[in-house]
Amino acid sequence: MKNFKKLLLIACSVLMVIGLVACSKSDSVGNDKGKASSDKVEKKSYDKVVYAYATFNNIPNSDVLETVAEEINVITREKINVEVELLPIAIFDYSSSVSLTLQGGGQIDLFESLGDFNNSVSSDMAYDLTDMIDSYAAETKEIIGEDILKSTTKGGRIYGIPTYKPYALTPMVIYKQEIADELGIDMTQVKDIFDLTDVLRTVKEAYPDMTPLVPVQTGTSGVNMTIPEVDYLTDDYYSPKGILKGNDMTVIDYYGTEEFARLADLTRTWYNEGLILQDAATTTSTATELMSADNSFCYVASYSYPTEDTAASISAQTGGIPLGAVQIGEAYLDTTSINALTWMVSSTSKVPEAALKFLNLTFTDPDVINLLIYGIKDRDYVMDEEGFVSYPEGQDAASVPYTAQLSVGTLGNFFKMYPQEGTKKESLIWEEEQNQLAKKSPAMGFTFDSSEVKTEYSAVINVINQYLPGLLCGSVDPVEMIPEFRNKLSEAGLDTIIKAKQTQLDEWLKNN
Amino acid sequence: MFRLTDEKMFRGFATFLLTTLTVITLLPIILIVIASFTDETALISNGYAYFPKAWSLNAYYYLINQGKLIFRAYGVTILVTLVGTLASVLFTTMLAYPMSRKNFKYRRILSFFVFFTMLFNGGIVSSYMMWTNIFGIKNSIWALILPNYLVTAFNVFLVRNYYANNVHESIIESAQIDGATELRIFWKIIMPLSVPVVATISLFTALIYWNDWLNGLYYITKSEYFGIQNLLIKIMNNVQFLKSGSSNFLGVGNMNLPGTSVRMAMAVIGILPIILIYPFLQKYFIKGVIVGAVKG
Amino acid sequence: MKKVIKKKNRGLTKSGPLLLIALPGIIYLFINNYIPMFGVFLAFKDYSYVKGIFGSDWNGLNNFKYLFKQDAFLIIRNTLLYNFTFIILGTIFAIIVAILMCELGEKFRVKIFQSSLLLPNLLSWVVIGFIGYAFLNADTGFINNTLIKLMGSGKEVAWYTTPKYWPFILTIVYLWKNIGYSSIIYMASISGIDKSIFEAAKIDGAKKLEQIKHITIPMLKPTIIILTLMAVGRIFYSDFGLFYQVPMNSGALYKTTQTIDTYVYHGLMELQDIGMSAAAALYQSVVGFVLVITANAVVRKVDNDNALF
Repeated sequence: MKNFKKLLLIACSVLMVIGLVACSKSDSVGNDKGKASSDKVEKKSYDKVVYAYATFNNIPNSDVLETVAEEINVITREKINVEVELLPIAIFDYSSSVSLTLQGGGQIDLFESLGDFNNSVSSDMAYDLTDMIDSYAAETKEIIGEDILKSTTKGGRIYGIPTYKPYALTPMVIYKQEIADELGIDMTQVKDIFDLTDVLRTVKEAYPDMTPLVPVQTGTSGVNMTIPEVDYLTDDYYSPKGILKGNDMTVIDYYGTEEFARLADLTRTWYNEGLILQDAATTTSTATELMSADNSFCYVASYSYPTEDTAASISAQTGGIPLGAVQIGEAYLDTTSINALTWMVSSTSKVPEAALKFLNLTFTDPDVINLLIYGIKDRDYVMDEEGFVSYPEGQDAASVPYTAQLSVGTLGNFFKMYPQEGTKKESLIWEEEQNQLAKKSPAMGFTFDSSEVKTEYSAVINVINQYLPGLLCGSVDPVEMIPEFRNKLSEAGLDTIIKAKQTQLDEWLKNN
Repeated sequence: MFRLTDEKMFRGFATFLLTTLTVITLLPIILIVIASFTDETALISNGYAYFPKAWSLNAYYYLINQGKLIFRAYGVTILVTLVGTLASVLFTTMLAYPMSRKNFKYRRILSFFVFFTMLFNGGIVSSYMMWTNIFGIKNSIWALILPNYLVTAFNVFLVRNYYANNVHESIIESAQIDGATELRIFWKIIMPLSVPVVATISLFTALIYWNDWLNGLYYITKSEYFGIQNLLIKIMNNVQFLKSGSSNFLGVGNMNLPGTSVRMAMAVIGILPIILIYPFLQKYFIKGVIVGAVKG
Repeated sequence: MKKVIKKKNRGLTKSGPLLLIALPGIIYLFINNYIPMFGVFLAFKDYSYVKGIFGSDWNGLNNFKYLFKQDAFLIIRNTLLYNFTFIILGTIFAIIVAILMCELGEKFRVKIFQSSLLLPNLLSWVVIGFIGYAFLNADTGFINNTLIKLMGSGKEVAWYTTPKYWPFILTIVYLWKNIGYSSIIYMASISGIDKSIFEAAKIDGAKKLEQIKHITIPMLKPTIIILTLMAVGRIFYSDFGLFYQVPMNSGALYKTTQTIDTYVYHGLMELQDIGMSAAAALYQSVVGFVLVITANAVVRKVDNDNALF
């Protein structure tokens, strides 16, 4: 259970990003390429690489895993003289399992950071790739581009390669179309979070028993993501400690900003008028669960795909309730939004070059990446004439021998994966555009090393846990609580953290 | 005559109190069972109820879909629980018996040796290193049996304490005079007297093995060796995850995953075997009462 | 004469064979518990994956600092108060239940009662958290929705944001989960009492309550002492699930629900610092150790036979 909640938060935000797969047909290359010359090289010895990846699906039996690994090996033996062992680990114990194995001297050569790029680097978990990347992963470097790669550097050294996928998160309101239509609410008029209040009031008036707004997840109404142009400087979106706002390079206290105060007031108003779920700070149900019940109207969340697609796919999860979505803010990219999911070579690896070569293939070779995601063709998935992928007749994710299909946004190159049936090409274009168009933080590429202020960090996190959910869900009075909160924060050492951030940032600015 | 009424009255009183307590204890559990049969939407809009508005078997369908996995996991857990409990009872009683002997020279040192393990531990990292590197138990059935639970200080002290207070030194003395070896005394005299306490620690140990998922988490990466708790926890967290807004990747037609009711159904599945087996175990407690009586 | 016999017996009991019997257990504990103790070094290290446990740089007491920040006093107070309450109430209730069970004597009812009381112990804390939520949830919870309406007092309570109720809620949940389990220990002890003692008391005309007071409870004393001593050793620990899952980790309740374990968890969830977690564990152990040594010394003075060691 440890780390689960955190992983969930990170993984949600990361996975929300990906959206509906829509790849052009030209990307879906056939499977026959690699098999040709495997027979000749039988007796050669190969470097063995262990690839540990987080999966949300069932963990397959080892004989099934071997069949998939063998298919991959056919390719890798020939191309890079490497054999891989696949090590899928359930998402919620991924971090602890990897860290334990590495500490215990077990072999894992490639692993992903689930949000904690910095911790991995500062505890020497990641191998310094700077000198190898040009010789062994040049193609990947080219695909990803220098700019994005900056997010996984520290002190000028490269420690990992971020998963390549749509990064930009756009805040939206997801609402029930039927209720909006019935009450004559024009949701397109909702331009920002503050416009939402009147809508909620209208709904509440018509349906007094209803709780119009539900939280996107336990402890947040989703409003925090609507503050524009915030660089969280390596912190979790759900517990910021010292941020940058816009182009100003002064680290400031998030909780002292006027925006934060206004949001807390807003949620308090909602709470007092019964517009938001009273137990939003502790609910055990998720937004989609709550939306599928008939006493809710909308929620606020951030996704990385076009509003119509978002609404359609969430609608499918709620049992087909017609939903609409409206954008209420702009996407903004900071370092964390990219390096939250970074692939790294472990510092204890005995074959770092081989590992990096294989990592390179997961970004460049469609056969390898699709074997990892979907398994073996016609056994684990079928493909129609247009190149869309679905499960074989009568099978689903739980019954096919191998699938890691829910990990699409976490492995290698998202844009090389076969599109799933029912997805659209246009969405992908939009997503790529967003990656380019989204405003980027001027401190893009800066990562904060918290190791010198660990003591303060743990104390501050504790205070944040205590006050923030209540403020974001309106269950406490901001007039009274914000001053108390900030007081406690400075007792816990927030100022020290902010100062440390500023110092590191200034240092970084000098060199960039 | 008077004595009889006193006893009867007390018995009536005890029955009444225990009945009340049992009902109070069971009510929340009944709520879980009902929740596992409740329609998901009803669960969310009306909350948990003893008389839900709509029933549904979806949660169990979902679990049956995982059928093969669940069967295998049950098998693993049952095997681990049986072997683990048996070995544990043997090791524990053998360690506790000498500690209970008042004229055993190393009694206090040994007690301290055992107790110390309850207070200090080196943490998971170092024991992981030892078990995997020296004993190589990773991804084997031993990984679920050996680490942590085989001998626990708590059980050792329970047994020691039981022996110290219920086995009279005189029995041992007379056996010694008859020339019995220590091992024979332990096996022939002490073991038969230990039924109540052995029943107790077997139950405790069996519960620990049955409910354990940490060993599986640390030492098992191959799904063949997942026990039922590991499987349930994985499914539970995965379901939670899929529900949390990331399930757009499920592809077409989106699996309609039941959430809360599945979690409740899993809780039911996890405790069901124990409910079935426990009444059989229990006769040993009653037997214990008889043994005590015969002895006198 | 008596002295002579004793001497003779001591002569009969050789420590060697007894030690041999204990050997498998000793070896297991040595392997499982003592060898890994080198891990405590981690508490004083700045851990690096490349350098490993022994090679990492020493960090002095830095890893311990966060344990004494800010709310340390409050957290320690909570941990201690809850543990004291649990030890006292838990023991009393478990003994009462055990005595009542044993008095029933009849198989069928005992079976039903005992199995039922044991059930909560089989549920994971996550599930128990859900049950608690089913009862206490402000919007649809059983208490606000049904009970309070039935009683007509009409005042709904925001359980998850009102700290003052939680000491009671947590104690009730603790007892609910643990009584069945711990009463089994006492039942076994009562089963072990020589029945002839009760018979003799009965013939002397002792009533049931008197028998309980003068025979059962004194016979349980060693068990009570030993369980309490062991609990004292763990007094700086708290059941993480109880304090994390049951209050649904609601920040507004921290004042009365936060204990050392949840504090450490919250603080390190983001940092995942190996050294700091080791430091917390060592801190809890050392305090428990000191307390239990003291308590044991007291017991040894008063009642030598029942001391732990």
